[in-house]
Amino acid sequence: MLEVKGLVAGYGGGEVLHGIDLVVNEREGVIVLGPNGHGKTTLLRTITGLLPPRAGKVLLDGKEITRWRADSIAAAGLVHIPQGDLLFPEMTVTENLLMGAYHGPTWAERNARLDRVYELFPWLKERRGQLARTLSGGERRMLALGRGLMSKARLLLIDEPSLGLAPLITQQIYASIHKVKESGMSLLIADENANHVAGLADRVYLLETGSLVREGPANDLLRDKALLESYLG
Amino acid sequence: MSTQFVQALWGGILFGSVYGLMALGLTLVWGAVRLLNLAHGAIFVVGSYVAYWVVSSLNLPILVALPIGVLAAAAFAYLMHLIFIRPVIGKPGFDNSTLIATVGVSIAVSAAAILIFNPEYKVIPPVIGGNFTVSEVQITKQGLLVIGTSLALFGLVYLFLTYTRLGMAIRAVSQQQEAASLMAIPVVRTYGMVIAISGALAGLAGVLLSPFFFLNPNSGFNPMIQALIVTIFGGLGSVRGALVAGFVLGIFESFIEVYYGVAWAQPGVFLLIILMLILRPNGLFGIGEVRRL
Repeated sequence: MLEVKGLVAGYGGGEVLHGIDLVVNEREGVIVLGPNGHGKTTLLRTITGLLPPRAGKVLLDGKEITRWRADSIAAAGLVHIPQGDLLFPEMTVTENLLMGAYHGPTWAERNARLDRVYELFPWLKERRGQLARTLSGGERRMLALGRGLMSKARLLLIDEPSLGLAPLITQQIYASIHKVKESGMSLLIADENANHVAGLADRVYLLETGSLVREGPANDLLRDKALLESYLG
Repeated sequence: MSTQFVQALWGGILFGSVYGLMALGLTLVWGAVRLLNLAHGAIFVVGSYVAYWVVSSLNLPILVALPIGVLAAAAFAYLMHLIFIRPVIGKPGFDNSTLIATVGVSIAVSAAAILIFNPEYKVIPPVIGGNFTVSEVQITKQGLLVIGTSLALFGLVYLFLTYTRLGMAIRAVSQQQEAASLMAIPVVRTYGMVIAISGALAGLAGVLLSPFFFLNPNSGFNPMIQALIVTIFGGLGSVRGALVAGFVLGIFESFIEVYYGVAWAQPGVFLLIILMLILRPNGLFGIGEVRRL
């Protein structure tokens, strides 16, 4: 479904990604594992059009989307749940979620999706009238996830789902991503903790200093403790 | 009630609503686009002259000229966006180049008005004529219309921003632009819409106000300066601030004028603003950079 070929990207004078080749198939859970500062966020930002690539291609169902604007890429079904959540601080929880369904649906459909997301995150429902800036870190992450699920996403790209969260909330977040995966969603998750993503991953890429150095089925790679330790420390 | 008091109150409410109407457009554009639109007065003039032309050359009634003037102002604002604003969005130097471009547009509009028409004062007929007196003060029906329209528009803009998909998208873009684009919201197109809406508001203010001031190539300048003051007083980017500040400043100015003389009105207003900015540097309802529309 998603195909990335020879992607090169960076900021200013520096190059961060040096030619990335990556594939995500329909209904597949793909994890990009790598330590902080090795280009995971840059990779997701480049795929979803927030950062223009310097070279390479991004294809969705064989169709090139490389230099599309971020909003067109999102409308095509590549939905990015960014690092730092990037909520709309002065909007309520419900309003934030509704913005996730900006593109496409009727109001009836929008409200139906809202009910589904509230079913997945009952916690958010209790806080539906609260402004996003008043939420705790865990609630914010749930809202960012829920907002992404409001769209008609074909592939969710999630940047470090557990960043900055307490262990208990981390568990809940991954459990809800698991439910999303079971519903048939394709996932591309950037993470630095192999244990978190074990249940979600079908295939794993290892990212080191801007290059994908290993690729393989999750069952093989994630069991190879020695290998993981040498990469992730 | 004394004649003086009624006069001051009527003048204050009338001008307050006018300031508010102009400030509403300015504050929307600032809140969403971060653009200080110094061509707002020029857009006011465009709307007024188009309405004047429809009335005087096409001999159509003012009720037909009003929507045409409003649409022309919106179209003009959108055109300005396409030519001068859109090319520099997201580029370094956006603030400086748009500031200079909007001043340039103002100068061009007043020059064009002189060339196409002439520098003489024009009269646009009121939408509703007639008046009545309260405690010997003349209350014009047009004045009541201006007040009513202004309040209604504040209500409409509030409802629009709160409950409609596009209105919510405007708030989203103003609060977290990157996330808005990840939600498939076309950010630049949304900017264009905000600028066109703001232009329509300026045009409407122009057509409704010209019966009070007469129309001339620079008649948008003073209302724009007043609107800027109101916007800063109320908090740049705050819709509620524009409404409250419009009335506070309008009424304050009017009372000083009536009780202490015209000469004290402007200094009085500025003194009030300076005091308020010392107490609340972001304005009455401004909450700094993060909180916008």
